[in-house]
Amino acid sequence: MKKKSRTTSVFLIVFFVIVTAITLLPLALLAVSSLRPGSDLMRYGLNFNIDWATASLNEYRMLFSGANNYFIWYRNSLLITVVQVALALFLSACVGYGFAMYEFRGKNLSFACVLLVMMVPTEVILLPLYRLITRMHLINNMWGIILPYLVVPMLVFFFRQYLSGIPKDFLDAARVDGCTEYGIFFRIMIPLMKPSFAAMGIYQGMSSWNNFLWPMIVTNSITKITLPVGLQSLLSPYGNNYDILIAGSCFAIIPILILFAAFQRYFIEGMTAGGVKG
Amino acid sequence: MKRRFMAGLLTAAMLVSSLAGAAVTVHAEDGSTQGTNTFVDGGTELSFWTFQELHVPFWTSMADVWNEKYPDRPINLTVTNGESHSTHSKLLIACQSGEGAPDMADIEIGYYGSFVKDGYLIPINDAVEPYKDDVVMSRITMYGDTEGNYYGVDFHLGETVTYYNMDVMNEAGVDPAEIVTWDDYFAAGQKVLEATGKPMTAVETADLFLPQAMMLQKNAQYVDEEGNPNLVTDEHAEVIEYIRSKLADGTIEIAPGGGLHTEEWYGHLNAGDVASITMPLWYMGRFTDYCGDLAKKVAIYEMPVWNEGDVRAVLQGGTGTSVIKGTENEQLAKDFLAFAKLSAEGCTYEWVNLGFDPIRTELWDDPALTEDPDNKFLNYFMTKPFDILKKNGTELTAPDISGQYAATYQTLVSTTYSNAFEMSVDRDVYELLQEEQDSIIY
Amino acid sequence: MKKKGILKKVLYSQKVAPYVFIAPFIITFVVFFAYSIFSMVMMSFQKVAGPNTVFVGLDNYKVIHNSIFIKSLKNSIFYTIVSCALMIPIPLVMAVMLNSKSMKAKSFFRSLLFIPALTSVVVAGVVFRMMFGELEGSFMNQVIASFGQGPLIWLRTPGTVWMVLFFVCLWRWTGVNMMYYLSGLQQIPSDLYESASIDGASTWQAFWNITVPLLKPTIIYVLTISIFGGMAMFSESYMIFNGNKSPNNIGTTLVGFLYRMAFEQNNLGIGSAVGVIFLSIVLVVNFLQLFANGTFGRKEK
Repeated sequence: MKKKSRTTSVFLIVFFVIVTAITLLPLALLAVSSLRPGSDLMRYGLNFNIDWATASLNEYRMLFSGANNYFIWYRNSLLITVVQVALALFLSACVGYGFAMYEFRGKNLSFACVLLVMMVPTEVILLPLYRLITRMHLINNMWGIILPYLVVPMLVFFFRQYLSGIPKDFLDAARVDGCTEYGIFFRIMIPLMKPSFAAMGIYQGMSSWNNFLWPMIVTNSITKITLPVGLQSLLSPYGNNYDILIAGSCFAIIPILILFAAFQRYFIEGMTAGGVKG
Repeated sequence: MKRRFMAGLLTAAMLVSSLAGAAVTVHAEDGSTQGTNTFVDGGTELSFWTFQELHVPFWTSMADVWNEKYPDRPINLTVTNGESHSTHSKLLIACQSGEGAPDMADIEIGYYGSFVKDGYLIPINDAVEPYKDDVVMSRITMYGDTEGNYYGVDFHLGETVTYYNMDVMNEAGVDPAEIVTWDDYFAAGQKVLEATGKPMTAVETADLFLPQAMMLQKNAQYVDEEGNPNLVTDEHAEVIEYIRSKLADGTIEIAPGGGLHTEEWYGHLNAGDVASITMPLWYMGRFTDYCGDLAKKVAIYEMPVWNEGDVRAVLQGGTGTSVIKGTENEQLAKDFLAFAKLSAEGCTYEWVNLGFDPIRTELWDDPALTEDPDNKFLNYFMTKPFDILKKNGTELTAPDISGQYAATYQTLVSTTYSNAFEMSVDRDVYELLQEEQDSIIY
Repeated sequence: MKKKGILKKVLYSQKVAPYVFIAPFIITFVVFFAYSIFSMVMMSFQKVAGPNTVFVGLDNYKVIHNSIFIKSLKNSIFYTIVSCALMIPIPLVMAVMLNSKSMKAKSFFRSLLFIPALTSVVVAGVVFRMMFGELEGSFMNQVIASFGQGPLIWLRTPGTVWMVLFFVCLWRWTGVNMMYYLSGLQQIPSDLYESASIDGASTWQAFWNITVPLLKPTIIYVLTISIFGGMAMFSESYMIFNGNKSPNNIGTTLVGFLYRMAFEQNNLGIGSAVGVIFLSIVLVVNFLQLFANGTFGRKEK
């Protein structure tokens, strides 16, 4: 019995080592290539062959030299991500709470609307949304990117699931103690929701940091665009700036990686606690 | 503990990057991706969008020259550069919604028709009038409609020529100067193939330069007089059949990467793996930028023709600059556009810095340009591009981009040539073209 | 005094509270989405040309006969079906394996496998486009060369294009879906497995008879997001082909077609019609699916 479990264990570890290696391979390729001159990539392709004689940190030096807008994009992305995550978490938690804890007229209809928004890809309503943002004079403005996605249906859906696991008697007890409806939410519920905030914080951080299409449409000037849009702007039919692109792509993964490393324990906890009970 | 450390690290990372950001903001103000000229008091503010970084300093320096020449009509110009697809999409959206569009913009040829068709551009006939006799007018009239209005001046509209890799030519014992017709060209291609194993030239599946040049030489266009798509023509079929036969015998290859602006292609070209290539004159810049190994090894000649005595000259490519409807400074924008693109100052800048052949004919004989020892293009190539310009003269055939050209172009570069040359090479050409034409939505 | 009374009443009212809580959603929904969808539906019946906009009835919907439209619809459906077929069982099996008692360093592997989801689609696109480049020296061509195969033109051959797209999909989302399954697995009491093993059930039987049925809600959830993720696929294709153009539209999806119509060809009417068609398909499929597993019925319990 013991022996069998050891074989299984070796098999499982070997399996996951291989799968993980394949998963990380593209990123390793990227990292290795960031040490090679851009012209090299163009001629020989993206691979692991590296000539240590020509390998250097030049690409990174170029990135940090400030002779480009990379860090402006970086800062824009960070700012938007932080603001959007904070607002979206709070507001979506409110909405999710409303759906989970109360019975009210129009509940089914409103929740159907949540699902509707969840299913509509941004691309489909891009044009009317753009017109609206223009009319609100929010073009080229961080709020133009954030406002339409203040309440994120995915999060609402998740928080609703998470909270529906909490017995309602709990609320009644608090009411008996003289708590207002909002007091219950702020004083009792928010602390209870901590793990789910961590989980959804990662989720939302991920999607804000990597969001591409909508920020691309809303921002115009090179100093207002976000990192993914900026990286994409380095690719053009008239020549690709690989030097900055590859090193910049590598460096772009870092903050989200740190965020994830710091909170990943909560991520799985939050997901588990919320559960997807369908 | 560990958690606190990570959180600290994150905060530090954010702080560092926000500081770094703050430091470069200053730099970016005079950087090249979003640029302004030297602002003057009381200058009229004009905004400009482009998708080509190299154009930014051109416009800002021309604005400075303008302010010197016309101190009573000063301009404060802000040029914003963005990625091509997204810049065009955004420009289109801004025009459609009537809000947020710049005063002027560079527009790629493939998109140009869309803007003309729905009337988003302002005719510039009156602003061009003073320069009329000094310039190659076909490079302006191309950006026009059937009523005789024209809306733009070219950036990237160049005479199509053939670039020969002379190492390969010498190895095969071919003298490009003796090539007159396409048949001569591909006979030489056979010699090249036998001697070196390399194809004579390449055709794109994701763009249309070679077939379009060949069609223009037959005086055929992709749209008819009403501007409707017109792919099913005998000329088009002949061109496709001709290229297919050369693909079959190996003298033409499919360009690696599918186009002549891809990374795979530049590597291939620079490695000397293809003998020659037919592209507009502005493609010189791609050689100097991406093919350092070929310096002093490439010679430029006129492109071959179908029959001896045919007109050789066609124009291809064609980013155009236009004034966008809705601007509050229509006249100023138009005059500035004409000045920047058509004056001797502007043309000289374009040639020296961007390698675009001058639209002003008198410059073709100006030794300051044609014999400039510092010019990177003159130094790179073995023959003089100006000789070809003079030989070809000013009667040039340009693509007809009116009406539904934009939609037609999209189909040509996404499916038609991909099917014709790579995916369904055995398909009957008329059937194929009919099917392609039917798929165009307009 | 009276004012305070009203305020107090409002603060304590269970009738008012839910509306206050869901107000942020209702406001953004009405302002941004309801308006946008309404104006999209309106435009789908118009030929949109600035001030010269005219009503054209159902003309724009004739696009359903267009061969490229049909092709991109087929592409989207094909992509959705195959990606669901891949993205539901594979991460499930991996999650079960990772959750096994014999497995070591679970959270280490779990985190590493999640990393691709953290990378931007722009970055992923650049890497994959170059990795599957057609140069002899590009990574994948080196790999197949070591098996004695000639270099492939990965991104211009229909079969391999799909391989690349599914590979990207697997690469990016396996870790995420695995995470969903893992959280579902935590909720299955371990004594169920113990009693099964006492009864002599094999690992395989336990998987089919305990894990799969009890994970059904999670599986359905993953299915839901996979369906609309698959139908909405656009960015991946945009990045792999460096623009919304794939040779012979091998990789053009419904959203890509919409984008081309509306933003590249300035044909808003047709673009909107495609949007309405798209929306109807996604809504029907997803609502059917959600009703089938009772998301709406649940709250009556």
